Amino acid sequence: MATTTATITISSTDLLSDELALSTTATLTNAGGATGVTQTTGLARKTTSAGSAAAIQAVNLYRAGDYTANGANKVYIKNTSTTAAEYYTVHIDQEEIGRLYAGDWMFMPWNATSGTKAVFTVTIAATWAAGDTWEFDGVTMTAANSATADIAAQIDALNYPNWTTTYVATESTIIFNARYASSASEEVWVTADGTLNTAGNGTANISSAAVGSKSESDITIRPSVHTAMTYETMLIHE
Amino acid sequence: MATTTASLTITSADLVGDALSLSSSSNLNKAGTTTGLDQTTGMAHVYLTATTSIDLFPILPASPAGQNKQSWVYICNKATDETHYVTITIANTIIGQLYAGDFLWMPWSQIAQYADIELAPSTAAAAAGIRVEYTCFHEGLTLPTSADS
Repeated sequence: MATTTATITISSTDLLSDELALSTTATLTNAGGATGVTQTTGLARKTTSAGSAAAIQAVNLYRAGDYTANGANKVYIKNTSTTAAEYYTVHIDQEEIGRLYAGDWMFMPWNATSGTKAVFTVTIAATWAAGDTWEFDGVTMTAANSATADIAAQIDALNYPNWTTTYVATESTIIFNARYASSASEEVWVTADGTLNTAGNGTANISSAAVGSKSESDITIRPSVHTAMTYETMLIHE
Repeated sequence: MATTTASLTITSADLVGDALSLSSSSNLNKAGTTTGLDQTTGMAHVYLTATTSIDLFPILPASPAGQNKQSWVYICNKATDETHYVTITIANTIIGQLYAGDFLWMPWSQIAQYADIELAPSTAAAAAGIRVEYTCFHEGLTLPTSADS
């Protein structure tokens, strides 16, 4: 178990007629317990820029689906700019939280509420031959033989950029799970992207599918200018 | 012009293979300037005994005084029972949970009506009673109009 502490100090001698000197220290523990959090993304540093103001894009810092929902996660973000007018706008889902101007930092909890991930099942059936291909998500499987279970195993063994797979040995079905939550229809993606090329009458039909729902709390930041700005960020999480 | 400084230190000797010792400090300035913020709600301390979600600051009108200006929010859960937490929400979007002793420090855009910052104690926290401290440093915050005027 790791011991991680965060201390905030807020001070001013002239904001009020009384001196302001606030200091709070929190030990970062898992939700509802005394066990220290043990995982972190590490401190990252990245420069954003775009070709023009019109080309500015938001940066997705943390996808909720990658972390424990309702955990005692903590997000740190800092704008390292030294130009006072430059800022990053911080959003959670579509909601604007606030702006980090030059030198500003924030430290907040994050519940990482994700949506659900799309899922579909492909069934390998009918007559296949060695050399037949099935392409999906930019990845091509070339059948080593005609056995449908072997072909399913081959499909499962490949690495897909946007999907993970589940396969039970000797069966002819592969379950695809989206890597990220999304409300898009996976059937549209598969129909558009799945390409079957078989010498016989082999099939790779979708035998079941469920639409996902979009994440509700991805954290994104959007720079105010297209010229170079740099941010630092770290997530400490369960 | 006031000078208010917010500093954060995150340390751990055993979270990662190298010792973690992060320090960050910034002056609280008006949006896009180097002029210090000069207004604050002051530190509030409340004792809550219901799970009802509450607005920590005056409800934002259609055109908030702080819109497009800078505001900073500090919230601290003063509970000592580690299972007692409060849920922080902005405009119906949950930001996260503050467990016993946890704090947050974040900017607040006050962009529009309904972008209020809300807090709701957990069931166990409300049953036992929970103390929360919070404050806002800002350059504009619309106060409610008196009903007696």
